[in-house]
Amino acid sequence: MEFKEYYKTLGVGQTASADEIKKAYRGLARKYHPDVSKEADASARMAEVNEAYAVLSDPEKRAAFDTLAQRRAAGQDFQPPPGWDTGFDFSNAGSPAGDDGDFSEFFNTLFSRAARARRGGGDGGARTQMRGGDHHARISIELADAYHGASRSLSLREARLDDSGHVVNAERVLDVQIPKGVKEGQSIRLRGQGSPGLNGGPAGDLYLEIEFEPDARYRIEGRDVTQTVPVAPWEAALGASIEVPTPSGRVEVNVPKGSNNGRRLRLKGRGIPGDPAGDLYLELELALPPANNEKASELYKTMAREFPSFNPREQMGA
Amino acid sequence: MAQEKADAVLIDDHTLDLHELATACAVTPTWVVEHVEAGLLACRSSGGEMRFASAHLVRARRLVTTERCFDANQEMAALVADLLEEVEQLRRQLQVSTKQPRG
Repeated sequence: MEFKEYYKTLGVGQTASADEIKKAYRGLARKYHPDVSKEADASARMAEVNEAYAVLSDPEKRAAFDTLAQRRAAGQDFQPPPGWDTGFDFSNAGSPAGDDGDFSEFFNTLFSRAARARRGGGDGGARTQMRGGDHHARISIELADAYHGASRSLSLREARLDDSGHVVNAERVLDVQIPKGVKEGQSIRLRGQGSPGLNGGPAGDLYLEIEFEPDARYRIEGRDVTQTVPVAPWEAALGASIEVPTPSGRVEVNVPKGSNNGRRLRLKGRGIPGDPAGDLYLELELALPPANNEKASELYKTMAREFPSFNPREQMGA
Repeated sequence: MAQEKADAVLIDDHTLDLHELATACAVTPTWVVEHVEAGLLACRSSGGEMRFASAHLVRARRLVTTERCFDANQEMAALVADLLEEVEQLRRQLQVSTKQPRG
């Protein structure tokens, strides 16, 4: 098991005061706040920061952690020595963010409710049944998954008590069915897939917030989807029937005669399914053939001659 | 490794009751009621019972996180949540109106 350097995580020294620890935590909480941070691994870093603060902001946990840190042999795989927590009582709440489902094996083995229960202290000491904590995570899906529904495999790590009451970290794979018609920002709930309960109590739930994977082809707002469709100048000018691949399959679309660049065509009910279903908007984008040979160049020159009054910058006052 | 199958339900189809929301946010039901009554957290009302959908869960967790991480009072946490929601909305509008790729 990897020993966690909580002081380093918060960027403070071992003699830092409670105020200094809180100040450092708040600074990092702003930096890695999942809603505003530009850092790619913001959620993971925020979990590390929360974990470090959950220990260092609690005098009992901090004292126990300091004792462990002094006794550990550097560079070796860490195992807590027997009786390391004698005299300490971790009876207060867990992380500042409200749950510790994303915390490390190190934390779960030493400071979690399950660990306290194993040692006969804290919440589980009286053998009272306790429900496990709820977990929250985000799951990325493709737009097509929202149209058709999908199955996703999730790997979950969790701390459980084995038959002898020891905390063991187990990994399991969960097959999750993503419901058809789901929108970005919605959450799905998986009952009983959070932390296991204590002393026979029920397991918590797992909540997954849906987000769509970036896809430059589509822009999504609620259940409405906008898709850019390249068209040739003659298709836009003369009108045409074109075949367009959409998230729900290929569709024959009539491009009206005289369409300009940026014209939006609405395909009612072809957005993300639901009640009501969203709409699909096709935004026309003129694609110009390259003038890369003599004949193509001559065609462009002919157009220039035949449209002497055409001024594409008329609206700019040019 | 064994693969378990999990039944997933969309919260907006099966909304959370007061106690479920409180548990999901690691707060007391009293905390939820106080925030609803103060107008800081919305809910759906069904037969006099408070019910909560996805957006309510996300907002409640933001309020909890801001209050706990920064020792913010209810109103300040709600203001932060309002601003985050506004930023999200503007980003969506920007993305739709300017062909900006997602992400």
